[in-house]
Order: sequence, then structure tokens, then C-alpha cells
Amino acid sequence: MTMKNPQLLLSMETRRKIMPYLLIAPVIIYYFIFWLFPVINSVIGSFKDIEDQWTLSNYIYIFKDPVFYQSVINTGILVVFSVTVEFLLAFGLALLINIKFKGSSVFLFLAMIPMALPAVAVGAIWTSGFATRGWLNSFLMTFGFIDDAGKFLFLAGGKYASMLLIIIVDAWQVIPFVMIILLAGLQGIGNDMKEAGYIFGGSRFQVLRKIIIPMLKPTITTAMILRIISAIQIWLIIVMIFGFNRIPVLLEQVVLNVDELGSEFFLRIGMALSVIVALIVSLVAILYLKVSGSFEKKDGDSE
Amino acid sequence: MNNSIKRNIFRSARLTSLYIVVAGIALIIIFPLFFLFSFSFMSDYETYSEWPKPLVPSVKAEFMIDKDSEGYHLYIYNKSKKDFAGFGPISFNNSETDLTKLSKYIKIQANCKISIEDINSYLSIVDRDGEIRFSARKDLFANYILFFQVTRDAGPSVLRSLMVALFTILISLSIGGMAGYAFARYFFKGKNILKIGVLFVRMFPAVSIAIPMVIILAKMGLTDKPLGLSLVYAVGQISMSIWVTASVFMSIPVSLEEAALIFGTNRIGAFWHITLPLALPGLAACAMYAFIGSWNEVISAIVLTQFNPTFPVVVYKALIRSQSQVNLITAGSITQALPAIIFTLIIRKYILQMWGGVKV
Repeated sequence: MTMKNPQLLLSMETRRKIMPYLLIAPVIIYYFIFWLFPVINSVIGSFKDIEDQWTLSNYIYIFKDPVFYQSVINTGILVVFSVTVEFLLAFGLALLINIKFKGSSVFLFLAMIPMALPAVAVGAIWTSGFATRGWLNSFLMTFGFIDDAGKFLFLAGGKYASMLLIIIVDAWQVIPFVMIILLAGLQGIGNDMKEAGYIFGGSRFQVLRKIIIPMLKPTITTAMILRIISAIQIWLIIVMIFGFNRIPVLLEQVVLNVDELGSEFFLRIGMALSVIVALIVSLVAILYLKVSGSFEKKDGDSE
Repeated sequence: MNNSIKRNIFRSARLTSLYIVVAGIALIIIFPLFFLFSFSFMSDYETYSEWPKPLVPSVKAEFMIDKDSEGYHLYIYNKSKKDFAGFGPISFNNSETDLTKLSKYIKIQANCKISIEDINSYLSIVDRDGEIRFSARKDLFANYILFFQVTRDAGPSVLRSLMVALFTILISLSIGGMAGYAFARYFFKGKNILKIGVLFVRMFPAVSIAIPMVIILAKMGLTDKPLGLSLVYAVGQISMSIWVTASVFMSIPVSLEEAALIFGTNRIGAFWHITLPLALPGLAACAMYAFIGSWNEVISAIVLTQFNPTFPVVVYKALIRSQSQVNLITAGSITQALPAIIFTLIIRKYILQMWGGVKV
């Protein structure tokens, strides 16, 4: 490419320097007004009592509350299990169906339905399914797999059975979403790379480990980070199936305090809790990015 | 020779296992959806008095009336028991009040419309023959109709929800798209930090942003208005849009824009005439994604609306407090899910492009 006018080149050079900042400015301004301002308000609010005096009592209240620790543990268990299980399954499935096959577009549509469903619908599906007299038991009985005495007590089960159900329901809704992200990434890897791996005598597993996974790493990081952020903030589906306070999780407690209990005192507790949640989410996300090495790239590095 | 046979066998085995896996996943996805759909067409009687519950809704109900010294008795055919079972009042006579009650009861419990005149004529046959069996067509959409009667504000709230979704798409796509373009095309200081930074916005629980937002929106005069709500939704959607649009723009070769520059257009012209048309499918997918996000959101909407709730809030409030009626809840949730599913149908072609080059 030859430029006829050196002056134009120069002005374009300066323009190229300013342009990205101009393009990003609206986002920064928007986030200053509609994110940073409310967040600062929330943080300040969490350090004040009902009489508007500075205090730590909201945090002390939370740290003295056994339900808080329970919700931290529950959230932790749910995040660890659901994120790993969902990722491994989604990755395996994406590898398997990474070929254009007949009906792949219909399949893609099907896979996207669960993530498009509102929580009310997901809740309705599984409360009506996991009820002792729900469709799952009805189905099993109609086809003779169980008899009336052998009904599964899905929702009436203990705490760990309930957690397992939550993980299953979450996986049902989320695996397709993760799979689609990974599938999109896989399709970006050219066949020639894989073939080169095979030509040099690599086994299928070696090609997967040495070529596909490293090339897919950015996509994996994206999928994982989005999943971790939303997995820690899981609550609505739990409330839809079990109601408030059966299986306490962090964000459910935030909503409970902010929205359901509806007094100034609990509002401030909710704000303090959400500050804690935000800290936990950021910490985990940064930890993940550190471990996965995403910070190693320098600024202005090319993609 | 031997090798090629081996390869052929391997390939067909792989294809077969692929189809088995695909069919398996499809089944796991469809199975629960099928019951959601199925329940929404069932009557109260089908969902609560039959055990095991029917797997598919029936299109008609069968009744029987007989008579003894206490009066007439009504029975309904119970498919799970394979026999007629007592239905409604223990006994009734052919007075106007009894028949009105009966007709209403049949309508509510079995979703069948049987007029008083019809019952009267049936009763005269019972007087003559001792009993009568008759069937009535079930009103399949009764739950949906009831749902819209229960949620009185449903119509206007759908309109409001659509407006909220539209504003959210406009805000997040324009602001996010600009930044996404910058991330895709330029190298600048702080790029990586910024790109991860916009994701951190999603880490503060949205509910807790909604509460201070009440004050900000009040100052702007946007309290309880669709635009106010979409300003809040856009916070999360913008960061998503940035990531998605960045990947979309990255997938379009810079050389195309440069070629346009050589031919004498300026950068804006090149973007407008070359990049934008090519990016349109991906941007459309991104827009639909924002639509789904804003259409399904409940909790910030509960905090931020008062007299003008969005459709999900109306559904949530109508259904969640009345946990008992499964068939009504399923009808309501299908009504809410339908627009999102239709939009999914539209974006499915573009979804892979949308996630194409996403990178941290």
C-alpha cells in the first residue's frame, strides 16, 4: 500500500492515536454515571446506620449471622461443582459436535432455548417435574420404571440432594450456552493446524492437548470468566424452586434483605452484603485470570 | 487399502456416535420443555386428581351423571384410575342455582364449557334411563385465557417491556459497539485492563445498583419509565456488547477497510459502507442477546417500577405468590418465554459468528 500524501499519513497517525479514546469515552462516561455513582452510593450506604451515622454494624451483623456463613459455603459448593461439571461436559460436547452435520442449525436452535427461558419458566419446569407427584415420577410410573411406593422425593430430599438438583437444573440451562461459546472458538481453529499435528505423528489426545486447547485458551477464558461471574450470583432459579431461605446463597440473601424484608435496616444489610459479594466475585475472577495467565499480555498487544 | 477401510469404519463410527450424542442432548433439552408445554394445556382436574399425571393433555373430558334418592351425581372419567370418579358436589338437583354452580365448577376444574340447558337436557335423559355418559370438548387454551384475566395489566406491560428492550438494545449496541470497534481495530494504552475492567461491572450485584439508581432516575425525571429501566439494564449489557462486537469486528479483515480508504473514502465512510454491512448479522445477534437479557430481568424491575411494571414483573407477581396452580404457572411462563424463543430462532444463524473471535 502506498500513500501519496505524506501529510495525510501524519494526520491519520495522530487521529489513530486519539480515535480509540474517543470511541471508548462514552462507555467510560456511562459507567461513571450509571455504575460508579450507584456503586459508591451503595458502598457508602453499607457503612452507615439508619440514623445516617458512620458504622461497621452492618458488616458485624452479617459476620455474626450463621446464615451468612451457610450461604458462603452453599455458594462455594455450587460454584465449584457447577462450573467444573458444566465446563467439562460442554467442552466434551463441543469437541464431539465440532463438525457440520445435517440438522446442526436445528440443533443449535434447540440448544439455545434453555438459556432464552425466563427464570419463571425454568422454575415452573422443575418444580412441576421434581415434585413428588410431578411429571418426572409420572413419566417413570407410566412406563413402569417405578411403582407408587418407589416415588422419588426430589424436592423433599435433604440439603445435599437439593444442591444436586440445583446443579442439575443449572447445568441444563447453562451447558448449551457454554458449549456454543466453545464451539464458536473451535470453529475458528483451522483444520490445517490439526492436520499438521497428525502429520508430525501426534495422537488424538496430543493434538487436543498441544494444539486445540492452547489455541482455544482465549475462548475458554471468556467462557469461564462469564460463567464464574454469573455462577457466584446464582439465586433466582433457587428461589423459584425452593423459595427463600431453604438453600441460602449469597445473592439470594442480598435480594431477601433488599427486596423482601423491605425495611431501611435490612436495606443497609443488603448493601453491605452486595459489597461482600462484589469483592468475592472480583477476587475469584482476578484469581482465575492470574492463574490462566491472561494478565501476562502487555498493553497494546496485538490480538 | 487396509488403511482406507479402517479410516472409513472409523469415520462412520464417529458419525454414528455424533448423531447418538446429538440426539441425546436434544432429548435432554426437549424432555422438560415438552412437559412445560403439556402442562399448560391441562385442566386442574388433570394436574391434581390424576396420578400418575397424564403426559399429554386430553382434548376432551368424559362425564357421567346418575341418580339416586339423594339427587343427581356427577362423575368424571379419571384416566389414571381407568374409571369414573366422583366430581364436584356430592349430589345436586335440577334447581337453577345448583346447575349454575355445576356449570361453573366444570368450567374451572375440567376446562369444559357445558351450558345449563345442556345439563338440563342430560338430566331429563337420566330421569328416563337412570344414567347418561357424555363427553365435552376441553378448552385447551383456558389456562392462557385465565392467565391474562388474572394479570390485568398484562397488555400494557408487554408494550412497556418491549420499549425497555428496545432502548436497552439501542443504548448498549451504540455505546458498546463503538468501544468494541476500538478494541478490535486500535492498539492503545490500557487496552487489556479496560477490556477486563468492563467485565468487572457485572460483578457488583445488579439489585444493589438498582436502589441508588432510584435517586438518580428521580433527578432525571425517569422514575418508573421504560427508559429509566433500560439505562440500568444497559450497564450489564454494554459490557457484553463490547465483548461481542469486538469479536465481530475482529472477524472482519482490516484490509477491506484499507482498500476502501485507498479508493478515497474516509474512515467513517469505510466503516459505514464496508464494515457495518458485514458486521450486521453479528450485531443483530448481539441485539437479540440484549433483548433476551432485558426481557427476562425481574428483580431490578421490581425495585425500579411502581405503577408501570414490566411484563416479567407482572408474571412474577401473579404466579410466584400462587405457587399452587402448576398449569396456570406453566401457561404464564410459556407466554413470557415465547418472544425470547422467537428471537432465539432469529439469531441462531449468527450466534457462532457472534462468539467467533472472543478473546481476553
